[in-house]
Amino acid sequence: MELGQHRYMPVLSFPWRRAAPPLPSEPAPSVEQADSPMFAAVFEAIPDAVLVVRREGTAPAKIVASNVAARETLRIRADEEQLVSVLRHPEVLGSVEDTLNTGEGNELRYDSGGLRPQMLRVWVRSLPMPQTAMIVLRDETEARRVERMRVDFLANASHELRTPLASLSGFIETLQGHAKEDPEARDRFLDIMSSQAKRMSRLIDDLLSLSRIERNEHVPPSGVCDLSLAAREAADGLLPTIAAKTARIELLAPPPGEALALGERDQISQVIQNLLDNAVKYSPDGASLSMRVESDVAFDTDAAGADVAALRDSGGGRLTLLSPERGHENRYVRLRVADHGRGIAREHLPRLTERFYRVPGQKSGEIPGTGLGLAIVKHIVNRHRGALIVESAPGHGTAFSVYFPMHEPEQTSVRGVTKAL
Amino acid sequence: MMTEHTLKFFEEELSQLKADVVRMGGLAERQVVEAVRAVAERDVAVAEAVVVMDEQLDTLQHEIERCAIRLIALRQPVAHDLRRAVGALKLSLVLERAGDYAKNIAKRALVIGQSDPEIPLTRSVQRMGELVASRLKEALDAYSAGDVKSAKSVWNRDEDIDEHYNSLFRELLTYMMGDPHMITACAHLLFVAKNLERIGDYATSVAEIVQYEIAGEEFADPRPKWSGVEPRPSEASE
Repeated sequence: MELGQHRYMPVLSFPWRRAAPPLPSEPAPSVEQADSPMFAAVFEAIPDAVLVVRREGTAPAKIVASNVAARETLRIRADEEQLVSVLRHPEVLGSVEDTLNTGEGNELRYDSGGLRPQMLRVWVRSLPMPQTAMIVLRDETEARRVERMRVDFLANASHELRTPLASLSGFIETLQGHAKEDPEARDRFLDIMSSQAKRMSRLIDDLLSLSRIERNEHVPPSGVCDLSLAAREAADGLLPTIAAKTARIELLAPPPGEALALGERDQISQVIQNLLDNAVKYSPDGASLSMRVESDVAFDTDAAGADVAALRDSGGGRLTLLSPERGHENRYVRLRVADHGRGIAREHLPRLTERFYRVPGQKSGEIPGTGLGLAIVKHIVNRHRGALIVESAPGHGTAFSVYFPMHEPEQTSVRGVTKAL
Repeated sequence: MMTEHTLKFFEEELSQLKADVVRMGGLAERQVVEAVRAVAERDVAVAEAVVVMDEQLDTLQHEIERCAIRLIALRQPVAHDLRRAVGALKLSLVLERAGDYAKNIAKRALVIGQSDPEIPLTRSVQRMGELVASRLKEALDAYSAGDVKSAKSVWNRDEDIDEHYNSLFRELLTYMMGDPHMITACAHLLFVAKNLERIGDYATSVAEIVQYEIAGEEFADPRPKWSGVEPRPSEASE
């Protein structure tokens, strides 16, 4: 816990007031003024989450006031709710108790946990009313995420770039040495070197895009994307590749405008692209792939498609790689990409979205992957509060299903207006 | 569901009981997260803090047990109120056990931290730990919100924790076969993984108790499960 520095801070120097202190000529607000509509509006509009809690007798502290940010961050459902039912982190509760008992302020940081953890900084301050305290929570996820990302990026990048680089410098040495006068070997080596260099540049592209996606992961996406159109585009884009492999893509999708996903078009396209790339890569020549788009489905692990018992009998199975928080409440659009490749054994399924994880013994064809494709998919889907399910078994092929929250036109457009009326 | 009680005290006692259980849940959750962190970051101080935290959990468990029994004896609640009291009692026991497993993980973290060279597998354990912690969080969120649907969704998804456990089990065996020097640390990690898997089971127990408390009956359909012990048909035939 980081106490000390701010412990004796006077009540008026709340963090958001630091930037613009009240003009000295204005009188300090009286209690009556504080109840005015303006103060209520200001309270609501503060971007940090602000809560006022009160304790009566020995009963647990209750929330007596909260602003919009607090209600959203903590999912407060009703007034007069107990503090512990929305915020049960022991250190936070401890410092609230402490402030109520001693009247001294506290400050700490905590991590919300869960699938999309938030790092929050918390200030607890005593208010002049009896047994009343105020809690301010500020989201510091972004700053800390950027910091960690930089460290991770460097570690991953240097590790993965070392292999192609070692091979490049090996060939350069050979070309400078005994292969100098051998035109046949030289051409072959140069080909290998150029493919290694291309691999390095793909790797750098993927790493950069992964780190960009990760950095925005907790920012909800905006916009609407037509999943049918995006799937069609991705399939068309692959035509040259699949023509070379004599493969076919079967696309089953509702007409444009019916399968609308809430999310960023570019990112959703990237998800489809990566899944489709994988499917093509691991398909034998002449095989067919199927892509199916469905609208208005619930998130249901049972309805994803394949026969789980059959998969399990062959040593595979179905696994939810990412499930949405409170998934059962929402409607989704679903995209399922299935191939007829070699399939993946059960024990590898949990690790598929791990960075640089490759299923042992699987060759991805002449273009080696970067090992980041599914990691990118997972992070994008997580950002969209969607879900990702894999179904696979050796000899049965592999199918990935992604769920994106459905866009419901009538809801989003009038929401603000009806509230105001 | 929430009917106004003629005795205001009674309602207050019940909600106090729930608040204590949720507080206890917060502690248990924290313990799991910190125990996993102790393993992943080889942090001795964090591991020791988790062991100390367990005492608080035990105290709170006794307190809840005492209050619940007192409430049942004095107020003689029926129907939903009785289930709320019994549910609190059951939850306190489940959370106490989950906390014990977290404490055990922390103790093993002290040993694993001394292993040399470092086992590269702590990352996989961390991933499994994060999954288990988030499942426990969801189950407790369902309890504090009284949300049967969320509880059911936690209950349905225990299988992926089992998958992680089995995958980790195989990995650890491979390491142990590869380098006998690793056996001590790997064996401890194996127990860490098993403990996490047990904590995951407790998260589903929490979900079951939420269902019991609110609906008064158990989940009807059988839970998807594969024990991981008996061989799968494909392996048996090999």
